[in-house]
Amino acid sequence: MEKYFVTIGIEIHCELKTKTKMFSSAPTSFGEVANTCVNEVDLGHPGTLPCVNKHAIELAIKACTGMHCTIDPLVRFDRKNYYYSDLPKGFQITQQFFPIGKDGYVEIEVDGEKKKIGIERIHMEEDTAKQFHKETGTYIDFNRAGTPLIEIVSRPDMHSAKEAAAYVETLRKNLFYLNVSDVKMEEGSMRCDVNISLSPDQNTLGTKVEIKNLNSIANVQKAVQAEIERQSALLDAGEKVEQATRRYDEAQKTTILMRKKEGNVDYKYFPEPNIFPILLDEEWIRNIQDHLEELPDARIERFISQYGLNDYDASVLVADRSMADYFEEVVKSTKETKKAANWVIGDMSAWLNKNNQSFEDLEVDADAIASLINLISNGEISGKQGKAVFEEVMLGKDPKKVIEEKGMKQVSDDGAILALVSSVLDANPQSIEDYKNGKDRAIGFLVGQVMKASKGQANPKRTNELIREELAKR
Amino acid sequence: MRISDKKSTKETLEQLKKSQSTLNAIVSVYDDPQQESENGPLAGVHVVLKDNINTKGHLTTASSRILENYVPVYDATITKKLKDAGAVIVAKSSMDELGMGGTNKNALTGAVHNPYDLNRISGGSSGGSAVVVASGIVPLAIGTDTGDSVRKPAAYNGVVGVKPTYGRISRYGIIPYASSLDHVGYFTTNVQDAALALEVLAGRDDHDMTSSFKEVGKYSQLLNGDLHGKTIALFKTVNDEIQDETIKKAFDELVEKLKDAGANIVEREMPIQYMELIAPVYRTIANAEATANHSNLDGIRFGRRVDGDSVEDVMTRSRTEGFSSYVRARFVIGSYSLFEENQDRLFRKAQKIRRLIVDAYAKMFDGVDGVLSIAAPTVAPEIDESSDVRFGPSSFAEEHMQLANFSGYPSITLPLGLENGLPFGVLLTCKPFEEQMMFDLALGIEEQTGLDGMVKEG
Amino acid sequence: MEKFSNEYFKKLANDLKFDLSDEEIEELKKDFIEVEKQVELFDSIDTEGVQEMVYPFETPTYFIREDEINEVLSQEDALKNAKDVRMGHIHVPKVVR
Repeated sequence: MEKYFVTIGIEIHCELKTKTKMFSSAPTSFGEVANTCVNEVDLGHPGTLPCVNKHAIELAIKACTGMHCTIDPLVRFDRKNYYYSDLPKGFQITQQFFPIGKDGYVEIEVDGEKKKIGIERIHMEEDTAKQFHKETGTYIDFNRAGTPLIEIVSRPDMHSAKEAAAYVETLRKNLFYLNVSDVKMEEGSMRCDVNISLSPDQNTLGTKVEIKNLNSIANVQKAVQAEIERQSALLDAGEKVEQATRRYDEAQKTTILMRKKEGNVDYKYFPEPNIFPILLDEEWIRNIQDHLEELPDARIERFISQYGLNDYDASVLVADRSMADYFEEVVKSTKETKKAANWVIGDMSAWLNKNNQSFEDLEVDADAIASLINLISNGEISGKQGKAVFEEVMLGKDPKKVIEEKGMKQVSDDGAILALVSSVLDANPQSIEDYKNGKDRAIGFLVGQVMKASKGQANPKRTNELIREELAKR
Repeated sequence: MRISDKKSTKETLEQLKKSQSTLNAIVSVYDDPQQESENGPLAGVHVVLKDNINTKGHLTTASSRILENYVPVYDATITKKLKDAGAVIVAKSSMDELGMGGTNKNALTGAVHNPYDLNRISGGSSGGSAVVVASGIVPLAIGTDTGDSVRKPAAYNGVVGVKPTYGRISRYGIIPYASSLDHVGYFTTNVQDAALALEVLAGRDDHDMTSSFKEVGKYSQLLNGDLHGKTIALFKTVNDEIQDETIKKAFDELVEKLKDAGANIVEREMPIQYMELIAPVYRTIANAEATANHSNLDGIRFGRRVDGDSVEDVMTRSRTEGFSSYVRARFVIGSYSLFEENQDRLFRKAQKIRRLIVDAYAKMFDGVDGVLSIAAPTVAPEIDESSDVRFGPSSFAEEHMQLANFSGYPSITLPLGLENGLPFGVLLTCKPFEEQMMFDLALGIEEQTGLDGMVKEG
Repeated sequence: MEKFSNEYFKKLANDLKFDLSDEEIEELKKDFIEVEKQVELFDSIDTEGVQEMVYPFETPTYFIREDEINEVLSQEDALKNAKDVRMGHIHVPKVVR
């Protein structure tokens, strides 16, 4: 594979999390009854005019800021003209000439190495209608028509399938953290088109092939890899790569031709005459930027410095924003931050997985988890007891109540433990013998016997200490 | 007829229906017109709307076959405003298809006839609206003006035709022609009514991002025709280009009377080179915007659909049958000027020249309150002899009114006189948002012509 | 394809999703002679450094719509004007793209 130089650029379309459409006050929707979230503007009825959604601009500004783009405070729109049954007006309103953001970057990490990927531009536009193709014809639902989108265009800075996947993943995480979009690739709220070209040397660009509609990050990587292999094989055989649009077929694990590119389509772009240029208030922009949500990388750094977590735990937590949010709730009520991270990443995640739930819809009070962690670290219950209590806490119970109900209170009273220790030692002279002969593990057996006699309630640490003290006396 | 004159809706509907055999001005009438508000400045006033103004639940065709069955699911903003003001919408009027034309011959329902001579055109594209006011059936009819589509038919039919400043009246719900040139306008028989109508129609509309926030004046209350201290510039370049001696003489006589009435008269000119560019610049911009604006007319979601084997086929058949040859030709020309390889020499070039023209035009208004010229160079041409210039050369005497569309300046046509029984008019244009000044000067002019309230009843 | 040939105009029209008859194309050819003359006229004007005038007025606007749901059509109204409606969707012959 290394004999060809791979160049990859990625275009991402992302639906913005607004209540209403980009240019109309009809609601955005997912999964609603067909053609019930539309008004005359979305249907492109005669005489309608666009009216720009403020929140969409706000979200675009957040995305631009998160990706270090320069923001153009004079917002302008243009028409992209083409005819298609999913495009009600016969043109799409977009920002061809003056994108709201340009010249930014994101930082990705591949195999432990960090790298900046340039963002050429971020612009706002509107989504098309959704079409369902059946044997009996095509059925059009206009609910999606007019949904606000941003398109993020990378520079051709990626050179491997891994980098492509890492870029999409980073963008997805960032946009999710910024509350800009749901970024659900499988539901289409984030869509990804990849351009790939191979050339024998770094100074020339090969023929560009576009892979459209990649619906998961795994598929981005697989599709790019498959396409690199396909193009390499062609070049090896001395054949030409054809400029085309392809799609990835998961079953065949290869890309499949959708259509050849016959010259460039002329979209006859021109400025949208129905929207005067909008001059954004600099104060408003600054306010949005000052209140920007923390980005994943910054949060990982903070988790390490503020909570003393290791890089791995911090990264695992931050990868799932709801999990990281939950963790932060837990550590509000406990100082045991590392233990809290272990519980959240370990037992809680496993439990949620098993029960088909996620941190997003988790109703268990973070206080209760914190309290459980504190009870264990105070020695009020044993770690083993803690696991049992946890199961109950996850069902909504208060840990202290569970301990009370189950009579689990750990016995730390020396007198009570000492009585048990004495009787266990009396009953196991052989173990005393062994201990005296240097077999230290006899202690373990003796502790186990005391724990058994106490029905698990004796504080194991104290039990251990008392056994050693008693043995010394004998 | 004046806004203050009242008659029954039954009488108006009868007159409209009866006039169809002679004027052919109407696309559809309301079977049972309603007055939705008891009070308001236009309470009980019968109004006709050009058929490109959306009326919820009532056929709106823009005189195009592709919209022959279109029943809007929403009201244009001005439709609502008129209803709220107590107006009674009685009918929708004929127009050149989608506003594209100046004769009103290019309408789905056929040519509209001039009430002063049924063999002559009404002018267009708002011909039907001009004619229903000119023939005394209604006191107010709404039109739209992209080039001169209100003001020229007003001249041909001897009525007052107003095109206010761009952004003064909302365009929401108006089936467009060319968005950067489109204005809502209207016809009345006198200046007082014209001033009152704007109070109702004007105002900020959040549905139209190009709509102005400027406060709407109390134009009719403040109306004052005193010309003392007012400076009116005569648009010499236009007037010199006009040949018709009767019209020229009437204009000169009016100017003398205006002087006598206290007006300060000056002359202003525009470079001829720019004047000759008006029509080509206009057509280039208008056709380009129009071809995009009408891309929504594909028979899929509304309008006349012609069945086909594929969705492309459906669109192609619907649009081929739905638009006249003339309109399709304009779309091709408009699209051509938008091609990437052509934009610099056609569309963008026209937009640049538009700026040069507007800059020169704006200079004419320095130190003057209004600019006055002859409106149309002739009386209404005969139907058989008139045709819309497709893309050929034409005199700027015909096209000069488009300056107010390029610039967005408010502009009004007033009747000036009759030549062999056929009306002709003057055109007054003022600075942006100076509608009060425009109506004041217009009233001063009307007092001199004495043609206030003129109609030609059938 | 030769510029301004019949085939050329047919392509132009088909890109706009309509047809032109041969007679219509003959008329268009005359129009395009004028269009080309007009280009010459345009060329005679020096527009070096002149910005395109896109709108009659060029003071930027400050108004942007708040993100609040306001106007929604019923499904009945949304589909009322469509000729072919099936299962709450607008139906067209199968799209192959």
